[in-house]
Amino acid sequence: MTILPLVTDQISEGYVILITGLLIVFGALVILALFFNFGLPVLLYVYKIITKRKDKKISEIKVEADHDFTGEIAAAIGAGIHMYMNEQHDFESAILTIKQVKKPYSPWSSKIYGTQNRL
Amino acid sequence: MKKVIIIFCVLSLLIFIRPALGLGTNTSSNNLDDSVKTEQVEKTVESHSYDGAFKGIKQFYNYTGFANVTSGHATMIVIGIIFIFLGIKYDYEPLLLIPIGTGVILGNIPFVAGNQTGIYETGSVLNYLYFGVVKGVYPPLIFLGIGAMTDFSSLIANPKLMLLGAAAQIGVFATFMGALYLGFNLPEAGAIGIIGGADGPTAIFLSSKLANGVNILADGTTVKNLIGPIAIAAYSYMALVPVIQPPLMRLLISKEDRKIKMKPPRAVSQKEKMIFPVVALILTLFISPSALPLLGMLFFGNLLKESGRTERLADTARTKLIDIVTILLGVTVGASTQADIFITKDSMLIFGLGAISFVIATCGGLLFAKFMNLFLKGDNKINPLIGAAGVSAVPDSARVVHTEGLKSDPSNYLLMHAMAPNVSGVIGSAIAAGIILSFLG
Repeated sequence: MTILPLVTDQISEGYVILITGLLIVFGALVILALFFNFGLPVLLYVYKIITKRKDKKISEIKVEADHDFTGEIAAAIGAGIHMYMNEQHDFESAILTIKQVKKPYSPWSSKIYGTQNRL
Repeated sequence: MKKVIIIFCVLSLLIFIRPALGLGTNTSSNNLDDSVKTEQVEKTVESHSYDGAFKGIKQFYNYTGFANVTSGHATMIVIGIIFIFLGIKYDYEPLLLIPIGTGVILGNIPFVAGNQTGIYETGSVLNYLYFGVVKGVYPPLIFLGIGAMTDFSSLIANPKLMLLGAAAQIGVFATFMGALYLGFNLPEAGAIGIIGGADGPTAIFLSSKLANGVNILADGTTVKNLIGPIAIAAYSYMALVPVIQPPLMRLLISKEDRKIKMKPPRAVSQKEKMIFPVVALILTLFISPSALPLLGMLFFGNLLKESGRTERLADTARTKLIDIVTILLGVTVGASTQADIFITKDSMLIFGLGAISFVIATCGGLLFAKFMNLFLKGDNKINPLIGAAGVSAVPDSARVVHTEGLKSDPSNYLLMHAMAPNVSGVIGSAIAAGIILSFLG
């Protein structure tokens, strides 16, 4: 009999957590969503006023001057640069020592020297 | 001539190594005496030394795994091998399953207690590494890396999709209630519930705070240590997202709805991307301060990425740092599944509840997306499939949504749209973890 109230108590507390938890999660994300829907444009507008600089929208940028410059050309240039940058590594020298060492001739372990000059 | 040289070399070698071999001429007489003495001693001890050798071998055998192995150990080792096999052969989250599988084998090598070997013995190396799990150090570091990887622009472009991430959190709370009805304590139920958040680090973080085997409940008993089962359940179901979600999508979403094409998200300026982490950090943490380690690190990582000035830090966070932490986390979580602690009725219940929580979370997201569609018109309508991505599991569930969308309409690319509820699901489950922690911690 002593256990039963404890269990029901736990379950009811569980429901409290369930409802408040869901509400808070929704609340938090709703607030975030509202901010980014309405707050952010205001914020950006204020920023624009403070800096007194006109932010250019993409639609405002004139395209007449570069009528021939299409996306394909840009892509081709981009690909060209990318390939060039990738190939840069291939010309690196594989020699890691600073100086190339040249040794004068030494008869050490030379077979032909050994056969001609008996010890 | 050659022979002379060889003989000379051998002789000189012998002279050089003579001190090492102890062949000194002046000690030879002593040596003779010694050998005689040892012979005498050996004769008297002979019978005892055989006994001693057998005893030694027997003792050694008692220390080996063969003497201490139980069926539990064997079962868990087989499970570990299956994890590794699944990771390698079928490419199911190999970055997680291979460390965890190896950890499971490591944790279930039978050993004699008291030699500071096992993960639960204080002073052992694994115990020190496990510290990061028990104290919840690793999850925030993983979140830092996730933040530095994640692009929130689709969410910023379409903020209303955040609600889908919230809707899927119904899985967390429903599982929490289910665990309570099955007789778990409140903190344990809270930790089990977060499996529905489909977020490994969050699940480990919350279970290390609530169900760590250390905390003492109001009625005087200590909570059970459920970190291992919860983490394994969470990660296994995350790997199984491609199996669990598609049938539910087909069941709940009609064919016409699956074909809805969403308008492409608008371009988001860099300024907005920079403002997002700062504002989201402040807003979400004011609402749910207990989620500070998780959300703080998530948005910090994102700010590193978007600020444009800290590319080096962001790069480390999203590559090397997250790799190191994933290795440590995977192995130690795997090793924490020591058979005597892991193979219990509770673990089986947790696995059952985990599956149900994934199903509820997916359904919650899908149905809420349908519900939202009632209020949206024309172009703004959303494809209800993306609701399923609300159960974090980044980025697997978004990928599942995408492939499922392609099946009903090969020209409908949902990946970008699905990423929005996906990342908001991460935020949502971290907030939910914070709420549960503040209620029960």
